[in-house]
Amino acid sequence: MNGEPKTQILILDDEPIVCRRLRPSLEKGGYEVETFIRSDEALERVRQKHFDVIITDIKMEGLDGLGFLAEVKKLSPGTEAIVITGFATMETAKRSFQEGVFDFVAKPFSLSEIQGIVKKAEQKALQNR
Amino acid sequence: MGLLRDIIGMLPRRRKGDWARVPFVVTFGGFKKILETNNQVLELMADMGDKLGGQFIFDRQYIIASCEKAKELVQQIIMEINKLAPKKYLGLYDAFRQIENQIDADLSGQLVIPQTPYVVPSASPIREAVEAVGNKNARLNEVSQVLGLAVPPGFMVTSRAFMDFMEHAGLRMRMQPWLERWRDGNITSQEASQALRPLVMAGELPPGLEKGMRAEAHSLLSHDRQQQKIFAVRSSALGEDGDLSFAGQYQTLLGVEAADLTQAYRTVVASAYSARALEYRRQWKVNEEQMAMAVGCQLMVDAQAAGVLYTLDPQAPEQERMLISAGYGLGEPVVAGQAAADHYRISRQAPYKVFSLDVVRKNQELRVQPEGGTTYQKVASELESAPALNTVQIARLAEMARRIENYFKTPQDIEWALDRQGEFVILQVRPLNLKSQVTQMVCDIAEVLKQRPVIFSGRGAVAQRGIGTGPVYVVKRNQDLDGFPDGAILVTRFTSPRLGKVMRRARGVLTDVGSPTGHLATIAREYRVPTIVNTGVATHLLKPGMEVTIDAEQNVVYQGTVKELCYFQFTEDAFEESQEYRLLRRVLRRIASLNLVDPQDKDFTPRSCRTLHDITRFVHEKAVDELINLDYHHSPGTAARQLKLAIPLGLTVIDIGDGLQAPAGSREITLEQVSSLPSRALLEGMSEPGIWCTNPMSVDFGSFMSSVTRTFANSLTSPKDVGRNLAVVSREYLNLNLRLGYHFNIIDAYISDDVSANYIYFRFLGGVTDLARRNRRAQFLDEVLTQNDFRTEVRGDLVVGRIKKLPAQRMLEKMRLLGRLVSFSRQLDVKMQNDEQISIYLKEFLKINDGHLSAAGA
Repeated sequence: MNGEPKTQILILDDEPIVCRRLRPSLEKGGYEVETFIRSDEALERVRQKHFDVIITDIKMEGLDGLGFLAEVKKLSPGTEAIVITGFATMETAKRSFQEGVFDFVAKPFSLSEIQGIVKKAEQKALQNR
Repeated sequence: MGLLRDIIGMLPRRRKGDWARVPFVVTFGGFKKILETNNQVLELMADMGDKLGGQFIFDRQYIIASCEKAKELVQQIIMEINKLAPKKYLGLYDAFRQIENQIDADLSGQLVIPQTPYVVPSASPIREAVEAVGNKNARLNEVSQVLGLAVPPGFMVTSRAFMDFMEHAGLRMRMQPWLERWRDGNITSQEASQALRPLVMAGELPPGLEKGMRAEAHSLLSHDRQQQKIFAVRSSALGEDGDLSFAGQYQTLLGVEAADLTQAYRTVVASAYSARALEYRRQWKVNEEQMAMAVGCQLMVDAQAAGVLYTLDPQAPEQERMLISAGYGLGEPVVAGQAAADHYRISRQAPYKVFSLDVVRKNQELRVQPEGGTTYQKVASELESAPALNTVQIARLAEMARRIENYFKTPQDIEWALDRQGEFVILQVRPLNLKSQVTQMVCDIAEVLKQRPVIFSGRGAVAQRGIGTGPVYVVKRNQDLDGFPDGAILVTRFTSPRLGKVMRRARGVLTDVGSPTGHLATIAREYRVPTIVNTGVATHLLKPGMEVTIDAEQNVVYQGTVKELCYFQFTEDAFEESQEYRLLRRVLRRIASLNLVDPQDKDFTPRSCRTLHDITRFVHEKAVDELINLDYHHSPGTAARQLKLAIPLGLTVIDIGDGLQAPAGSREITLEQVSSLPSRALLEGMSEPGIWCTNPMSVDFGSFMSSVTRTFANSLTSPKDVGRNLAVVSREYLNLNLRLGYHFNIIDAYISDDVSANYIYFRFLGGVTDLARRNRRAQFLDEVLTQNDFRTEVRGDLVVGRIKKLPAQRMLEKMRLLGRLVSFSRQLDVKMQNDEQISIYLKEFLKINDGHLSAAGA
C-alpha cells in the first residue's frame, strides 16, 4: 500500500441499486466510497468528513438533492458535485441548479461514462483543496 | 413527419367533395405513423434488453418510465390501425389492457403468483421461475436448463398450488385468529404451531392437485424402469435462500413412496408453520401473506457416493480452496452430520489440484431399496478406508461447481450425488454467504490491480458484465469450437451465433469486432458469461494457452490470474440477483417476447397477442394488408395497381403523385410505366438478369426444427406471399413494404434534385431459418451496405441502413444496388450454413454488382 490518500467520494441515491452498483466500480478505480440512501444521513456525514466528489440524485424524500447540495456547498465549497437523475427530471435539474454542479448525468448511464466524469471532477476537486 | 407534409403538398389539389371518404394521404399518413411508431417500440425494447448486460446503471424509475413509454407507443399504434381500418381491430384494446395490467402488477412490486399448472416437470423451461416454483426449485431449474448439468428427474408443485390449497381448504381463514393471537403475544410460537400444523395436515387439496402429482409421478416411474421408486420432497418457499437464508427452517423428506407424495406435500407445507419458521419470519418481518411454499419432488438418485461441496471453504476462505465432503451411498447422513465423511480440499482453479484428502473409515452406507424406502448396508471391507471419490471424479465435480458459482456469482453450497452409472447429479444449490470474510481477504482492490500487468483496457464494449479467469482459446474457424476446453476464455475475431454452442462452458468471451446489442450478447446474458466485444485487438494480443483475467465491467484484460477480482465480486450483491434486474427481465417478457410470427396461422389474431411486441407485429402486418386492399375507386388518382415484372414479385403499387404514367382505370402496369425515380431504379436493380434466384430452396429439417415458433406453411415459394407486397410512390418518393418468405423489408426513399432532402432508409428483419443463419444473412447485408457507404445498425437479425444527401444520380445508383441486394439475398439465409459462406456470398454479390455497374457505365 502506498501512502497517497485516496480521493473521497460520497454517493447519495434513494434507490439502493444505484449505490450498490456504483460503489464497487469506483472502489476498483482506487476511490474511497461511502453510500447513502437518505439525504439527512448523508448530510450528517458531510458535517463530519470532507468529500472531494459527491454524486447525488435529485428527487428524494425529505431534503431533496438540490437542497442537499446547497447545504454541502455551504459546508465544504471545494467539493465537486455530479448530479445523476432520470431523463425526465434532467431539464428541471439543470435549470434550477446551474452553478456549483460539475456535471449532470442522465440515468441510466454506463459505468465508463460515470468513471470518466468522476475522474475529471476529481482533478478539479484536488485543485480546490 | 415533414416528409408527409411534402408529399401532401405535392399532390394535385382536388375539388371539394372529392374527399367523400378518407383521402389517401390521410390513410397513408396513418400507415407511415404506424411504421415509425413500430420502429420506435422495437428500438426501445432493444435498449431495455441491453440494460440486462450490466454495463449500465439503471434504477426502478428507469424501468417504470420505459414501460410507460412502451405502453404509450403501442396504444398509439392501436389507435392508428383502428383509424386505418375503422373499428376493425378493437380487440387489440382488450389484449393491450391485459398486458398493461400484468406490467402494472409487476411494477407495483406486489407478489404476483403466476398462473401456472399445479404441477410442472423439473426439466422444463419455466417463466418467472422464482415466483412460480420458489427460489430453491428455480435455482435448480437454472442449473439444468441454462447450465446443462444433470439434476434428478422430478416435478415441482407450484406456488399457485399452495395458494389454491390455502384458499380451497379455508386455511387462510382458519389460521387468521391463531396468527393474530400469536402476533399479539397471547400465545407462544410453539402453541401457534401446534394449532396451525394440524390444520394444514388435515386440509383438503384443491381438485386436480393430487391427480396432477400422481400423473407426474407415474410418468416418471414408467419412463425409466431403472429409476428408483422413491422421492425426496423438498421445500422451496418464496424467498428461501434468497435475501434471507431460512436455512434449515423448512422440512425435507427423503425416501417417500409415490403413494405417500400428497401427505409428504402437506408435511413440507406444514413445516412453514413450525415454531422456528414462525419465529424466523417474525424476526425478519416477512409478511405472512407474502409467504408461499412451492415444493420439489425428486426421484431419489441411487447414489454410489454423495455429499456436499462448498466452492469456498467457509472455515478458511483465505486459503482459497473448495471443500468437498463425501460418503458412500445417499448423502443424507453426510448432510445431516450423522455419518463420518471424507473431506477433500482442492484448488479452485483447473486442473483442481487436491491439497488434502482426509479419508475416514466408512463402514455403512444408506441405500435406496428397489421396493422403496432406504436402508443401511455394510460397505465392502476393501472400500471402507478408500476415498469415496477418485481424483478424476473430484476434478469433474469441481468443474461443475465452478460453472455454478460463475453463473450465480457468489460462493455456492452444492449437494451432489454420483449415480451408479458414474454421472454426477446436482441435488440442490444455495448461496454461501461469506461476504464479510471475503471482504477482509480483498483488502484494497485498487492497490492490487495497480500491480497487475494489463494486456489491454478501455477497448470495446461490455456485452455481459462479470469477472472471468482462464486460459485463452482462439477460435478461427467453426471446427475450432469442437476442441473448446471447459473453463477457457474464448477469443475470436467475429461474433457468431455459432459460439452459443460452447458459451456455457466458457469463463469469458473476447471478440475483435461485433456489437453489444447482437445475438452473441443475448446468449452471453443468458449464460451470464463475462463478454467484451469489439476490442479490435483481442486475437492479436492474446495467444492460445495464455492465462488471463477479464474484468468485463471496468473493461480490462489482465495477464495471469487476478483472483482478488473474483473475490471482490463475491463481496457485491450480484446484479443478476437484484430485484431491479429481475423486474426488468420480467417486464421485458411482457413487452419484447414475440409469439405471433406466422400471419397465415389461424391464431394470428388480436386475442392471441400476449406481449406488446405481438401487438406491434400484428398491427404492422394488418396495416400493409389494409393499404393493399383499400378500395380506391373514390379517388382515381390513387388506384392500387399490379405491377407486371419478369420476376414474380407480386407488387401492388399506389401512386400518390406522378409516380406512374399509366392510363386511368388500368389495373396492371409495366416497369416502363413507372415514373417514380427511386422506384424505377430499385425495380430495375431487382429484375436484372441472374439476380433473382429462381431455384426453389428446400429448407432442411434442422432448420425447420429450430424455427419452432413458426408454424410452417411452405413459405418460400408459397403463392400466398405473392401480392402481399406494397409500394406507395410519387415521382420522387418510394415507400416499399416487402414480405418475401418470412423476412420483412422496408425501403423508404426520397430522391430529387434537392440534394439535402435526399435519403434512403433500408430495414431488413427476420427469415425462415434458425437464428444462426438469419444472423449470417444480417452480417452479409451489413457488409454490403457498409461497403456502399450506408450507415448501418445491426441488432441480431435486424439490419438498418441509412444514407442521405447525395446527388440524385448517386442515390439512384444506391437504389439499383438495393434492388440487386434484395433479389440476391432473398433466400440467402437458407444457404448460409456456416460463417465462411458470409464472405463467399459477399464476393459473389460484389462480382455481380460490379458487373452490372460496368455494364451500365459502358
